[in-house]
Amino acid sequence: MKTPVSLLLFLLFTSSVLQADEQAVVIRLSPVYAEPSSASQSLGRIPAGTAVSVFERQGGWKQVFSEEKAIIGWMRAYQLRETINLPIDPVASQPDSRGFLSGLAAFSRKASGFFDSKSTSTSSGTATIGIRGLSEAEIKSAQADFVELEKMKSYASDARRSETFAQQGGLKPRKVPFIPGQNN
Amino acid sequence: MKIPLFRLILLACLGGLLLQPANALSLDDLKKKLEKAKTRVEESKKKIDQAQGKVSETEEIEIGGNLISGLLGAAPLVADAELQRYVNDVGSWVALQTSRKHLPWHFGVIQSDGINAFAAPGGYIVITLGLFSLLENEAQLAGVLAHEIAHVTRKHHLMALQKTMKRDFWGDVMSRAASDAGDREKLKALINSGVQLYATGLDRRFEYDADIRGVVLMARAGYDPFAFLDVLTTIDSINPGSSELGVLLKTHPPTAERLDRLAVGMDGVLDSFASGGINRERFRQIGSNP
Repeated sequence: MKTPVSLLLFLLFTSSVLQADEQAVVIRLSPVYAEPSSASQSLGRIPAGTAVSVFERQGGWKQVFSEEKAIIGWMRAYQLRETINLPIDPVASQPDSRGFLSGLAAFSRKASGFFDSKSTSTSSGTATIGIRGLSEAEIKSAQADFVELEKMKSYASDARRSETFAQQGGLKPRKVPFIPGQNN
Repeated sequence: MKIPLFRLILLACLGGLLLQPANALSLDDLKKKLEKAKTRVEESKKKIDQAQGKVSETEEIEIGGNLISGLLGAAPLVADAELQRYVNDVGSWVALQTSRKHLPWHFGVIQSDGINAFAAPGGYIVITLGLFSLLENEAQLAGVLAHEIAHVTRKHHLMALQKTMKRDFWGDVMSRAASDAGDREKLKALINSGVQLYATGLDRRFEYDADIRGVVLMARAGYDPFAFLDVLTTIDSINPGSSELGVLLKTHPPTAERLDRLAVGMDGVLDSFASGGINRERFRQIGSNP
């Protein structure tokens, strides 16, 4: 009987942790709004580096709580960076999350060493080491490879294949006009 | 007797006057005349286009194939057919949402640690393995490809090339490239300067334009357009001094500025599409291999 109880306790513990808000840090001085829209009432600003709790996401917005500033409101999601402090593997336990945490973990595995953090600033000396393929010099001195071009063409899709692919992925085309813009 | 004859002549004359223009304006003639005028307009338009250095779609595709071959010479395709087909599936689906869906779209993942993606005229697009490895889901991949697709549909690279090349030189190259051996050299020079473009970058306005159009294409294709903001956020979190980001940061506006502009542009317009697909599982099945 002991095993199921401890398992239950474990599940309770982990699920409560997961239900607790995500923790994040504000990347840059950001306005906080009453609603997930910049047209709504502004509640103030939260400076860069402030730790906040995240309640939910709506479109490009996240509802946050800053204890320090005593503010609850909506911020643009990209102005926040999640901090990893969950005790369990988010990949296995959070299939519904947007994958940010797991992605960040995968990212740090793949790209460890080039996060911009004060403690690793000594590694900036390695920045001049060439990367494999496509450094500026390599692009400029490149010789055209037409065999690779033919290979690339061989993987082409077509309209019918694309439609099937979209259907299998639950993707429904929608009518969206271009955003009239500041650009062109 | 005189009067009827006079009347007859008068009638004949009047009839002639009336009938003549009626004949001239018969429907067939009108059609022919319109056709002629149309051809003449088209011909002169072509001449003006040539003088201004505009290129036909066939030429555009040829130039693009050459440019992308240059990049492939610097970094070949990743030897993974499943991965390459998947990227073509995602990219082609997004490209189907554009006004240039008829182009022969080609997508590829190239063997490079650099974090970047490139587009060439005519529908050729590659993403580096370095950038692909940072992505978390299919929507993010669609976002990167959509940005590049927008460069192609808006002919950003062609415009940049035309701007850098002398007008007469361009027209000369395009009209005689195929036949003349000497002009082959010029075409080579053109392609070379096109490849240089990947190291120097496009006009920053083109990048903002591709950003905002790209997210609309994502929404059209049924993806969550905000996934592209996540890609930029990830890029923004990497040490800007890292060699992997060198070319991308040199050739694009500051990532934070791109995020700001995108957020403002999308604000209140694309929020309702945030429920679009992410397709993390499908991506992960493919993405776990390379």
